[in-house]
Amino acid sequence: MPNVQSINQNTLSDALPDFRNWGVMLRSLLLVNGMVLLVAIAQATSWQDIVARMLGLSALLQPVLLLNLSLLFMLNPWLERLTYKKGTAVVLLLAMTVTLMVYHLGGKLSLYTIVHGNFYSGRNALLGSVIAGLLLVYFRFRVRVLSPAVDAARLQALQARIRPHFLFNSINAVLGIVRADPKRAETALEDMADLFRMAMAQDDDLVTVRQEVALARQYLALEQLRLGERLKVNWYTENMPDDALLPPLVLQPLLENAVYHGIEPLAKDGFVDIKLYRNGNEMHLEVYNPRQEQGGHHVGNKMALSNIRERLALQFDVEASYKVEIGKDFYRVHIKLPYVQEIPKPFFFA
Amino acid sequence: MNDVESPLTIFIVDDEPPARNRIKDLLADCSEQMPLQLVGEAGNGYEALDKLSGVQVDVVLVDIRMPQMDGIELARHLNKLPTPPAIIFTTAYDVYAIQAFELHAIDYLLKPIRIGRLLDALTRTRSAVPLRGEKLQELTPEPRKNIAIHERGKIHLIPIEQVMYLRAELKYVTLRTVEREYLVEETLGALEKEFAIRFIRIHRNCLVAKDEIVGFEKIVDEKSGDSYWAVNLKKLNETLPISRRQQFIVKEFG
Repeated sequence: MPNVQSINQNTLSDALPDFRNWGVMLRSLLLVNGMVLLVAIAQATSWQDIVARMLGLSALLQPVLLLNLSLLFMLNPWLERLTYKKGTAVVLLLAMTVTLMVYHLGGKLSLYTIVHGNFYSGRNALLGSVIAGLLLVYFRFRVRVLSPAVDAARLQALQARIRPHFLFNSINAVLGIVRADPKRAETALEDMADLFRMAMAQDDDLVTVRQEVALARQYLALEQLRLGERLKVNWYTENMPDDALLPPLVLQPLLENAVYHGIEPLAKDGFVDIKLYRNGNEMHLEVYNPRQEQGGHHVGNKMALSNIRERLALQFDVEASYKVEIGKDFYRVHIKLPYVQEIPKPFFFA
Repeated sequence: MNDVESPLTIFIVDDEPPARNRIKDLLADCSEQMPLQLVGEAGNGYEALDKLSGVQVDVVLVDIRMPQMDGIELARHLNKLPTPPAIIFTTAYDVYAIQAFELHAIDYLLKPIRIGRLLDALTRTRSAVPLRGEKLQELTPEPRKNIAIHERGKIHLIPIEQVMYLRAELKYVTLRTVEREYLVEETLGALEKEFAIRFIRIHRNCLVAKDEIVGFEKIVDEKSGDSYWAVNLKKLNETLPISRRQQFIVKEFG
């Protein structure tokens, strides 16, 4: 499944970076060139010499780097199926081979003067794989930093996903209708069960936007039970691709925020607008809610929102963005992420 | 005082209809064990004050988190009634409020409310001493959004933005809005402390809304020949003298 990695937040799964992600490519280019610049500075004897050395090193380095990245881009689907250890071995071997190839081919084309002796070949091959190794270490480290791995962080994330305020008020609301409208109380409890099952789910595999919307609707039904006419919702989903994939629980916490900060402190009724649409290779999520200048709830749900941010960064790197617009009387969150399609499962998996 | 036989009259304030329903169900269950009577309900603080002025009730169940006016502010206004009701706070989840209640030993009920807890709390109100205003103020760092004025058995709420100045005169504090003056049964000192963000003290007996100050003028007393600074107000054609000790205000406002 291309692009669909499991980003398990609880037990850290080691995985190679997604070599088709712009963020990963950009980071690789910047880091390697940064290292080369350091070497150039270390060897240089004057300021002009830095540039000269950089150019000299680049002659071999840039072709190797670009060729490596393109090969990894092509091999990405295959690499994803390997275990982390095997994948790492392949990447290191590839770096070594490409370095040697370019070095010798370049020599034939007399781009570089090949100094006879195995030392230079060996040195370049070694450097190539060491640099590739360092990059892999960096990406692995980045995943660790972005994943709340420690138990405390996991608990925090869980609490942020289920706001106690929502939990106890909802239970109270269900109790309030259980005698008068038992059927509605049953539905409400079922909605709550689904919501909590999702919030407590151990894995963070991508889900379809269809599932995410269904969950959001269940959540809003619960809030409407409590708030009645005060909560009005507009859905704009005409241009929403049903099969788009996104990390779970991205939309629902945004809505919870919209209700908590936007609707609850409002004296009259208010609208929450939800827009989901695709624009080329991008998937967009927008949530709009009214905002009170004063007298709103002060304690925010920063944790849930930073959790969304981190998960988006972990999954999509620079290809996802999270923007907040705070107006005089409104609050708008706009999330952009790459449009990843659900791959229909082959029938023998069904 | 109520004798034991007369039913306890109860009023419910909560912004969520199902939550009010739940309390009504529970009160119906409680009525098997103690005589009580639900006399009304309200969805927000303003409605509650409106319905409760002129009516005497024994107990008001007040939700803490409500839009516009929170439960603690409502309780402070209810305290101004001639015979203030006993107040039982209810909340589903509010770490800050619960800490404050524990600290001040004030009764509260956690939603979902259990019938046993509700019965206990209702029983206790028979002997309870009404909460004091200052104690309620300590519960929250937030200033009220309104000042309650008690006039002819009714409660008037004056939104704090409408208050031009507050001036202590003999026994009472006068509150001035654009339209008229009201008498407030609170001390200037307590008001200054609570609304420090909005008012500034210009004189031993006077607090002025900072936003309402439009300028300053020097006034010469014709008899004594002494001169002093005074505040000009935006919406009122009045000048308020600044005491010598507070004259630095003139410089600060520039």
